[in-house]
Amino acid sequence: MAEPLPPGVNAAQMADALERFRKVVGGDWVFAGEKVGSYYDPYTIPNDAERYKAHAAIAPASTEQVQEIVKIANESRVPLWTVSRGKNFAYGGAAPVLSGSVVLDLSRMNRILEVNEKFGYALVEPGVSYFDLYKYIQERGLKLWLDVPDPGWGSVVGNALDHGVGYTPYGDHFGMQCGMEVVLANGEVVRTGMGAMPGNNTWQLFKYGFGPYVDGMFSQSNFGIVTKMGIWLMPEPAGYRPYLITFPREEDIEQVVEIVRPLKLNNVIQNAATIRSLVLDAALFTTRSQYYSGAGPIPPSVAKQIMADQDIGMWNFCGALYGPKPVTDALWTAIRDSFATIPGAKFYFPEDRKHRPDILIHRADTMKGIPKLTEFGFLNWNGGGGHVGFSPVSPTTGQDAIKQFKMVSGRVREAGFDYMGLMAIGFRELHHVTVIVYDQTQPQERQKLHELFGRLVREAAAEGYGEYRTHIHYMDTIAGTYSWNDHALLKMHQTIKDALDPNGVLSPGKSGIWPKHLREGRKS
Amino acid sequence: MKRVACVSVVLSALAVLASPVRAADMTGKEIFDHYCTYCHGSKDGPGTMQLGRTRGKGQALLTERTNLTADYIEYVVRHGLKSMPPFAPSDLTDAKLKALAAFLAKK
Repeated sequence: MAEPLPPGVNAAQMADALERFRKVVGGDWVFAGEKVGSYYDPYTIPNDAERYKAHAAIAPASTEQVQEIVKIANESRVPLWTVSRGKNFAYGGAAPVLSGSVVLDLSRMNRILEVNEKFGYALVEPGVSYFDLYKYIQERGLKLWLDVPDPGWGSVVGNALDHGVGYTPYGDHFGMQCGMEVVLANGEVVRTGMGAMPGNNTWQLFKYGFGPYVDGMFSQSNFGIVTKMGIWLMPEPAGYRPYLITFPREEDIEQVVEIVRPLKLNNVIQNAATIRSLVLDAALFTTRSQYYSGAGPIPPSVAKQIMADQDIGMWNFCGALYGPKPVTDALWTAIRDSFATIPGAKFYFPEDRKHRPDILIHRADTMKGIPKLTEFGFLNWNGGGGHVGFSPVSPTTGQDAIKQFKMVSGRVREAGFDYMGLMAIGFRELHHVTVIVYDQTQPQERQKLHELFGRLVREAAAEGYGEYRTHIHYMDTIAGTYSWNDHALLKMHQTIKDALDPNGVLSPGKSGIWPKHLREGRKS
Repeated sequence: MKRVACVSVVLSALAVLASPVRAADMTGKEIFDHYCTYCHGSKDGPGTMQLGRTRGKGQALLTERTNLTADYIEYVVRHGLKSMPPFAPSDLTDAKLKALAAFLAKK
């Protein structure tokens, strides 16, 4: 099957553009034909094989090459779809929203430009993975910790730009970014914040510089191409104590979250802790077929069996204490006493866990910033490999948590899937991330997933819950739910898009933002 | 990069300036350790566990497999297989992939 062409670009024009790209980066770094297959969404959702297919990919090695590529794209009108490392797999991987786009793969821009132990930051290019940065820090014996998401092979820059979260006190990744270098659609390079001042020495220390703070414009957006980014790193603490608290009943989530809120607001819970559902945790190291061979979600009797076998709860709260022992002892007393009011709550430190492998032993690594891929054991739960995240944001209240849990788990189970959810704890909100694991090899299952996802989005939006991040297949859908005042925010995004990228060559369709020539005929 | 060098000197003697993180020449074993070991390097890795269930415990660890061909390895790495996503040639180059496939096929 020939690779699709983008709207308004014929085969000769595309061939000419690819030839010009080769002159910029070298022939080895433009990928077309069968090699573009590794840029397809590996966990595809739609049954239309033409959706989300790149025409080619190009991998520059420098900011200067990115500038040249952008100029050619403008002249040829060939759209680019930028990825840092293309590992955002639950959300489409490296695949573009607009078929026929050329993937601008920044993996080769993998220089760690600076790691500063005194102030605790790194300046990196988009191709640097968490594994890379961790290794770099360890090899040099620097007393710094990363904050990592579950995919350790992901890009430090890309994850922050997509508003990813991790598990240490530095878990809000975009909140920890400081200073960017961005290539605009006209080829100009901009440095944000203090980086705009020649000779300044606080680019990675103070975010805001002078005038409008624009860094957020380049996250989850298609307004520019981020080629460098500062990220704050946590000084290695004097002590570290990970813990697990389990709760036996689904309805406990209401009381758990009510307890969490004041503890988090007052920094008694120091890190980006998570509350995870039974099956999500069980799926890390076991499969559904080990417990249940029937159709539909596992019944309550099987859930109880899993809890007993693996010594986990219906909900599992994973957190950690950081600092000198007198501090962590005092924090633990407050945490333990608060959660002990929930009947059946059990408390564990790593030395209390008897099974191997074990969720606390595993998360003891991630909560101290060791990058891994272990979490993806959950993909083996039903063997089909596909997964997508539904991620509405909720206030940290028990009322909202139980309401969301019932809404989402009810629909997920109605559709025949097991509920695999977690609540990632921010300062004042929860990211309720439900992973739906499906058999991607079955068209009927993909269609069922799609119908379920649409229902979840609609019902959540009707209750005022919006998703913080989504798969490429749902970017228009989610953007459409942020519709206050006749879609005023989306219209502002479009105005910015048209001003910065008048030819619409940067990542058309990202986050529902389309350039003018592709907007007509689309629903908002 | 003038600015980066300047900052490093001014701010801190502890700042460490970097070079590219990947070696130009890696052996098949080194490539396996760099790209594959997180899923396929230990008995608890997601890839090992998946292979153990679908192909039997004796076939779970890639480095202990005796029935892998280089062509098959190259195909799976570029196209993915169920849970395993594909690896793009920008990162795992054709030359590295050949060295990796040769390393695993000889086991």
